[in-house]
Amino acid sequence: MSLAAALRSWWRSLIHRDQTDRDVADELRFHIEQRAQHLIDSGIPPADAIREAQLEMGRPDVQKEIYRSAIGLRPFYEIGGDLRGAIRSLYRNPFVSIAAVVSLALGIGATSAMFNVIYSTVLNPFPYRDTDRIVNPSLIDEKQPLLPTWFALEPAQYDEFVKARSIDSVLGFLLRPQTDTGNDYPEEVSVAFVTPNMNDFLGVSTLLGRGMRRSDDAQNVVVLNYKYWQRRFGGDSSVIGRTLSLDHEPMTIIGVMPQRFSFTETVGNVDCYIPWTASRAPALLPWIKLKPGVTPAAADADFLPYLLRFQQQTPMHFPKQFRVDVQPITAPYLHRTGHTLALLFVSVLFLLLIGCANCSVLLLARGEARQHELSIRSAMGAGRLRLIRQLLVESLTIAFAGAVAGTALSLWLAKVPLRLMHNLFPQEAVIQINWPVLGFSITTALLIGILFGLAPALRFSRPEIAQMIQSRARTFTASGGRSLNLLIAAQITLTCILLSVAAAAFAGFRHLTSMKLGYDPHNVGFIGLTLKPDPTKNHQAYARYIEQLADTITSVPGVVSAGILSSGIPPSQPFGGLGLPASFDILGQKPAEPPHALVQLVSPSYFDTLRISLLQGRLWTPDEDRRGDFVAVVNQTFVDRYGTGQTVLGQQVRTDALKNDGRPASITSPESDGWRQIIGVVADSRNDGLERPTAPAIYVPYTAFMWDHAQIFFRSTTAPESLDRPLRLALHKFNSEQVSGNEVGTLDGALSVQTVWVQQHMFSVLCSFFGGLALALSLFGIASTVLFTAERRKNELGIRLALGAPRRHIVWTVMRTLLPTIIASVLLGMAFNLGFRNVLKHWMPAGVTTSWLSAWASVLLLLPSVVACLIPAVRAAYTDPLETLRND
Amino acid sequence: MTKTIDLLQGTLEILILKSISLGPQHGYGILQRIQQISQGRLEIPQGSFYVALYRMEHKGLVEGEWGESENNRRAKFYRLTAAGRKQLKHETGKWSEMTTVVGSILNATSEAL
Repeated sequence: MSLAAALRSWWRSLIHRDQTDRDVADELRFHIEQRAQHLIDSGIPPADAIREAQLEMGRPDVQKEIYRSAIGLRPFYEIGGDLRGAIRSLYRNPFVSIAAVVSLALGIGATSAMFNVIYSTVLNPFPYRDTDRIVNPSLIDEKQPLLPTWFALEPAQYDEFVKARSIDSVLGFLLRPQTDTGNDYPEEVSVAFVTPNMNDFLGVSTLLGRGMRRSDDAQNVVVLNYKYWQRRFGGDSSVIGRTLSLDHEPMTIIGVMPQRFSFTETVGNVDCYIPWTASRAPALLPWIKLKPGVTPAAADADFLPYLLRFQQQTPMHFPKQFRVDVQPITAPYLHRTGHTLALLFVSVLFLLLIGCANCSVLLLARGEARQHELSIRSAMGAGRLRLIRQLLVESLTIAFAGAVAGTALSLWLAKVPLRLMHNLFPQEAVIQINWPVLGFSITTALLIGILFGLAPALRFSRPEIAQMIQSRARTFTASGGRSLNLLIAAQITLTCILLSVAAAAFAGFRHLTSMKLGYDPHNVGFIGLTLKPDPTKNHQAYARYIEQLADTITSVPGVVSAGILSSGIPPSQPFGGLGLPASFDILGQKPAEPPHALVQLVSPSYFDTLRISLLQGRLWTPDEDRRGDFVAVVNQTFVDRYGTGQTVLGQQVRTDALKNDGRPASITSPESDGWRQIIGVVADSRNDGLERPTAPAIYVPYTAFMWDHAQIFFRSTTAPESLDRPLRLALHKFNSEQVSGNEVGTLDGALSVQTVWVQQHMFSVLCSFFGGLALALSLFGIASTVLFTAERRKNELGIRLALGAPRRHIVWTVMRTLLPTIIASVLLGMAFNLGFRNVLKHWMPAGVTTSWLSAWASVLLLLPSVVACLIPAVRAAYTDPLETLRND
Repeated sequence: MTKTIDLLQGTLEILILKSISLGPQHGYGILQRIQQISQGRLEIPQGSFYVALYRMEHKGLVEGEWGESENNRRAKFYRLTAAGRKQLKHETGKWSEMTTVVGSILNATSEAL
């Protein structure tokens, strides 16, 4: 058989349908005429001849059918007919159809939104070429196996490493702050020094100008990040060819990257990209593009000998004991958001199932009313498969209508998690309509169309013709009731689970927001200041300079007070060497386990600025502050944990964490790691993230350990961000060379980007939304089932009423059909909640999962369910029995 | 009129192929030709004739083209395609082999065993 000929005839029949029909009719008419002529020639009267010829040919309207079945298109036309029938029948019952489509649209919308989020943030977040082959240079430190670290390479090592067998190409980069010296005041610019193959490696072209080329190697050229271009140049498109002065060196601007591009955000935000040279940055972090087909495990094995050799050369860059574990660049994000997304995806699947069940309920209810039509079709010879097909085409029509509405809804819905959780997802992730998501929606629609259509289709495709022809059904058919009850049970159980998850999420977030922080974050801002290393300055000069910076900030109108905290931003665990709890000694004690505490470098006004109250003793004086040695203040947790049975005040502590580490930028007080007397105790404030309790802390004067960066916190009378420009101008006036950080941050802002806060915020918003939707859908399902039951039994109820049954008896009779199902499934849902408590805890670490909460969620479900049952039942009890009986 | 023979399943297609191979013809002509040659001994239902014809066109064995009939009417003329000619040859071979085999079985006598 020739495929071309088959396609040609299908094409003709489908596209030029009228022409084909006409041709077939013409051909057969010609046949009839010829035949009639033949008969006339053989002596039959013309009228009889024509009649005879027509009879031989058969009915003319069957001719099209003959042609279609000959070329195998008949089922296609029949399905087309089914489709038209389906649309007509949906149109006839607009309430049921709209309810079904809306139920599904919500389910499909939520599901494809979540799929879209997963696809665009975890599966395919980056706009780079060959993203799936690019890996991070990650190592697992055997001492801290939970957190992978990255390794840096020196230039010679880099040249050697790129020759490794499994490597296709490498993009080397290193972030270093530089100073923009061409503006009103010097400002810190975050520069990524990159190997000049950046644009080529990532496969991203510029928005303006050109990308970096190999010939740019070591040239004074710069490519701008979109955000920096907007901030520094106001989005001026004539910027290409102009110069940007960085550390007094003019750089020619050759290009601007597109808005979505924010390469190396995993390391930090970047303002511009400059070709790397050994003099500009001492080392390089490699992003590695593996050759096609190389697995990460194979790459690990390939890299290990290189890295062991490099470790010998530069032990600073590598942990003492490590193994190589290169990961796709999406891995850190997957690690951070995987659980959150998994929980949300399961929730929306539940929602989808509830929507499906709702549709099934509606179709069953409507199918019952259509028994009559279906039995007539069946009596006229429609086979069972034909009826099943018709009913499935109807449910698929609903499903696809739901999918179209749902996909439109999902585009908006998918942006919500990104907005709520923006700092946990890659910045380059964007939500847009794409083929995988569309494919997902279509597949979902197809699957659920069959899923919710199957029960009604199987049930109604075998109509009880005899019964139907005798009269309309008077009795409650048991099987219909059973499948309805099962659907309602499934709905309620799922809703119970979703509501309990929502309650856990909401309570968890309430717990976080009402958590006692121990400090007042409101109207507190902070600014990072870079200090120029100056070998002529001694410790005292540095200390004075930082003090003057703080004084300058205090002098700005609107600033109430300012204090210094160099080691981190509350409430998170401080980063860097001083970030982890350090071991310390207490004079005269020799515990088996060395005690640990966070060491915080602060000025005394810091406590005042953050409103951390002094509980005992005193804070250190300005003189002691400048000197840096001999004094320390501890927090309440420190007292509780280490002050066993004796007063802490007056005890002596020391820690090696304050010892000068020999780095060029480190400046320490003469006896920074010597003994210090505890002179005061302050109240606890969160210092180890929100999800963990406050850690014991030792506060020492910031002058004990300084480096090329200081951080000043200030309390203001207005929103701290609004002081950005006055602060910078004041600092510039104080010292025209002083560089201030990228932007003024706020403690409220720092709180709202806490991973656990963000996650729980999103959980509480989305889970409450999903729970509410599920509840609404379920209530709708319950109400329509009861309504439908009452409708079917209205003759019986009418007779009962007429015979004198009290109305409350009728209400009870109607409700009784569903009430046991509702109660049983709420109990089942509660059992599930108890059983899955640990799973939920794993997926939502900050959720509150007590049995009480689950019980409340059940009550929240049970009460409206009973009301949803009651209303249609009461309505049934108050219809006039005579009316009903007369109508029948 | 002689007694008509029922058409064997599947033979209609080969008859149509053969009939068209004698020269391009319209549907009515093809049917006429078959009945002429069989001297009216084959009864071909018109419905199934056109189903077969359309299916063959769909399969690319014959090709239809609109033209003018002998009495100047618009009619669709069918002719064999290369695939149709090949099919005819193949089916003819199969048919004669079949008749030989079936014939020899039917003519067999007990002595021949």
